[in-house]
Amino acid sequence: MELSKTLSTTNAIKSGRLTASANLQSKISRVENYDSAVKAFIETYFEDARSAAKQVDAKIAAGKPVGKLAGLVVAVKNVLAVKDKKLTCASKMLENYVSPYDAAVIEKLRAEDAIIIGSLNCDEFACGSDNTKSAFFATVNPVSFFDNSGEMSNLAASDKFVPGGSSGASASAVAAGFCDLALATDTGGSIRCPAAFCGVTGFKPTYGTVSRYGMADMAMSFEQIGPVAPDAYGCALLLSVISGKDYRDSTTAKAISTKAPDASFATASASASSSKKIRIGVPKEYFEGANPAVAKAVKDAMGRFANKSGCELVEISIPAVKFGIPAYYLLVYSEFASAMQKYDGFKYGAKPESNDELVPTVSKVRTANIGKECKRRIMLGTYITTKEHKDAWYTKALKARAYVRAQFDDALEKCDFIVGPTMPNLPWKIGEKASDPLQSYLEDVLTVPANLCGLPAGSVPCARIGKLPVGLQVIGRRGADYETVSLMAQIESSLVV
Amino acid sequence: MDDPELTVIIGLEIHVQLATKSKLFCSCGTEYQTAAGPNENVCPTCTAQPGTKPFDMNAYAFEQALKIALALGCDKINNSVTMQRKHYFYPDSPSNYQRTSTPIAEGGSLAGVSITEVHIEEDPGRYDLKTGIVDYNRAGVPLLEIVTDPVITSPDHARKFLEELRAVLDYLGAARDVESGSMRADANLSIRGHNRVEVKNINSFHGVFSALTYETSRQRNMVKNGLEPVRETRHFDEDRDITLGLRKKESVDDYRYIPDPDVQPIAITKEQLSKISDALPELPRKKMERFKAQYGASDDEAYALCMELAMADAFERIAKKVDAKLAAGFMRGTLKKQLNFRSYDYTKVAPKEQFITGLLLMLSGKKVTDKVAERILIDLMDGKTASSSAEQYATDAGLLGVQSSSELESIIEKAIADNPKAVADFKAGNEKTLQFIAGSVMRLSRGKADPAAVQEILKKRLSK
Repeated sequence: MELSKTLSTTNAIKSGRLTASANLQSKISRVENYDSAVKAFIETYFEDARSAAKQVDAKIAAGKPVGKLAGLVVAVKNVLAVKDKKLTCASKMLENYVSPYDAAVIEKLRAEDAIIIGSLNCDEFACGSDNTKSAFFATVNPVSFFDNSGEMSNLAASDKFVPGGSSGASASAVAAGFCDLALATDTGGSIRCPAAFCGVTGFKPTYGTVSRYGMADMAMSFEQIGPVAPDAYGCALLLSVISGKDYRDSTTAKAISTKAPDASFATASASASSSKKIRIGVPKEYFEGANPAVAKAVKDAMGRFANKSGCELVEISIPAVKFGIPAYYLLVYSEFASAMQKYDGFKYGAKPESNDELVPTVSKVRTANIGKECKRRIMLGTYITTKEHKDAWYTKALKARAYVRAQFDDALEKCDFIVGPTMPNLPWKIGEKASDPLQSYLEDVLTVPANLCGLPAGSVPCARIGKLPVGLQVIGRRGADYETVSLMAQIESSLVV
Repeated sequence: MDDPELTVIIGLEIHVQLATKSKLFCSCGTEYQTAAGPNENVCPTCTAQPGTKPFDMNAYAFEQALKIALALGCDKINNSVTMQRKHYFYPDSPSNYQRTSTPIAEGGSLAGVSITEVHIEEDPGRYDLKTGIVDYNRAGVPLLEIVTDPVITSPDHARKFLEELRAVLDYLGAARDVESGSMRADANLSIRGHNRVEVKNINSFHGVFSALTYETSRQRNMVKNGLEPVRETRHFDEDRDITLGLRKKESVDDYRYIPDPDVQPIAITKEQLSKISDALPELPRKKMERFKAQYGASDDEAYALCMELAMADAFERIAKKVDAKLAAGFMRGTLKKQLNFRSYDYTKVAPKEQFITGLLLMLSGKKVTDKVAERILIDLMDGKTASSSAEQYATDAGLLGVQSSSELESIIEKAIADNPKAVADFKAGNEKTLQFIAGSVMRLSRGKADPAAVQEILKKRLSK
């Protein structure tokens, strides 16, 4: 079996065949050569990264123990706080805000000897599905312009595809070889969508598994930080580092530290007790509205996997899927409006130009520095949580969420996993879908249920249609993060031709 | 005096800071008053830096809140409490929303005032309008809000209620010192049948009484003159002891409450409650009843002694050595008067308990008069004596002893000789001048005379 790309890099560094510095330099070279086209980075930390890599090399040379991520180059979505670095959230509001502290996940990366190379673009405050809503620039999906050797071929402007979002640059950076691994966040599919669109692997953990301390809020009850990697092994490795309880995020109270991938990781024994055949539910609702070519690619891949692995595929129905989008967006608006309340121009970030009365001053600075999509969400969220409208919208959406959750829980009683396409469509071209937010929201239909229900879910590449990749989504039981990534690894290896 | 048409109805919302070492949702300390300067007692979390989340809730703060709820006799304790976000734009709030819980407990009553509910919330920071400085040192300190039903019938009733509330908090040790700005209140006040007015920004126990007194007479005067008080929010100006109408708001109050997604609902278990309940101390009302039964204290004495735990405890120790009734009378009367005069708590003189005990022993042994005892107490409070023994001090200052009748007679003769006009007036029928002459006698005796004996002898002498 082909060795995981992440695993071979790790082995090469730990054994001394590849120095952390050399590994880093190869990534820096690619960033220098290609990021002008991909536009993944908001800020690079090359100097800090070089000295961190030297320290790792020194440890290895001295025979000292090193961390699980020793010498691996990691890039992080710029909604995660890195001490003394800009935390922009891809917004003008925070364009020059420098974080005074490290996010919990950043502390953990450092403790495990990862090399942090820089911060990555995304949709403003993670609001978007294609990374075109960054206040700075749109990141370009690299899949259409790298040849098989990883070098860039000529790219016509008409061939610029979106990388997905909101963590578009996290997936792009991994796909473009700018880093070994990336950290991203997923509120309604923001890890899985770009992973699918860029042909890489991404995973959103069970809600409460990874500390969000240091992650700028979008919608707090939905989101998790998760890994993006070239393969499921990379996801599992990074997940094992970042998961676990943290008193600074009380929603991690029941977090289980996910174990590091072991020898049986990519085999069936990891994902279910060997005495029982794994049952995989395939909800018909996940295929109904999908692009037929995407639906077929996913079904074919699952068929091949089932044949090889002996897993049982069962067609199921989860009618509540249709409530996913309205329930998700209404609650996201409400939570987002609350989260954005703090950006008033007084404490950090953009400053008001003149000090007028309180309300007009706050209003002016917000109007000037918050982008259109974020404004739309703030206004809708404010509207539906007012006394007058709360019952009709917010309270009803909470009920719909509970309804969706009950149906998914029920399905996962009967099946070990749920599988379907990650995205109903292939990546679209930059500029398409720009005018109609509803059309863009509908692209999230297959990813939001996992966030509504707090379930672990990941995307593995399963086919290509032309140059464009298709992502296969695996949803697991709450808390079965390791098992879910393990199943992703099995699917991945079954598809190797 | 009170016109039933002008009956006032008051409801209070009282905020007290819970006695904890750290803030509610981060590990910063609560001693914000001693911080080196503005924003020195802060961290990324309590300044709501992008990305921060509330830490695991300070469980001790929540336990303190439960203690208070149980002590107030709240009979409905909710088994699950949710933290909510209350949104408003104001510089004192780091995130522009305040975390405030759903009711922890309901029911209960104190001093004839029924409690609507109690809940926990985060203290905001402070915004100084004059300098424009925003200080988050206080932001996130745990607060308990106690909401009363609108059943308080006068400013005096409100004062009684607060006095007793303060005593309960003192007994529990669950709240931070209530006079140092850590107690704040909002009041709703209306004249029966008329519009309700909210008074905000009352920052001390005394302020509540002043604000309510001012507002009661303001509204009564309006109603008497056929005017209708405007339904509004007013601000209490503590320096001037008046309330002021705030500028009209531009929009309706809508805090858009939502459950805080970052904080898990808090479960309250029966076991937890019975554990806290079992550990509750004897509360003021119970102690008052016991003092009456055990020491023969009067209602007033029991009340005065029990409104401060340190004083109640001191009384019980003193009563082991000195006649309890004498001690109760002295502590409620002379001692309390001198404390109140100086706005002292008993704790201020608590270290001098031995001295006070000695003083009471002299008093009960008739070694000093009441007058001299009070004089010695004043000297003690004003720091005029460093002596740890009352007897030693009295001896050194020549204050010991009560004058015998023969000693008195010669002083009285001198007083009569010194005040010929007063004596003449008395003889002419103006009996009031007797007090004047008696005062002179007391001065000459340096307080060692028994005032009753002075009156008696003086009368006899002048009627001759």
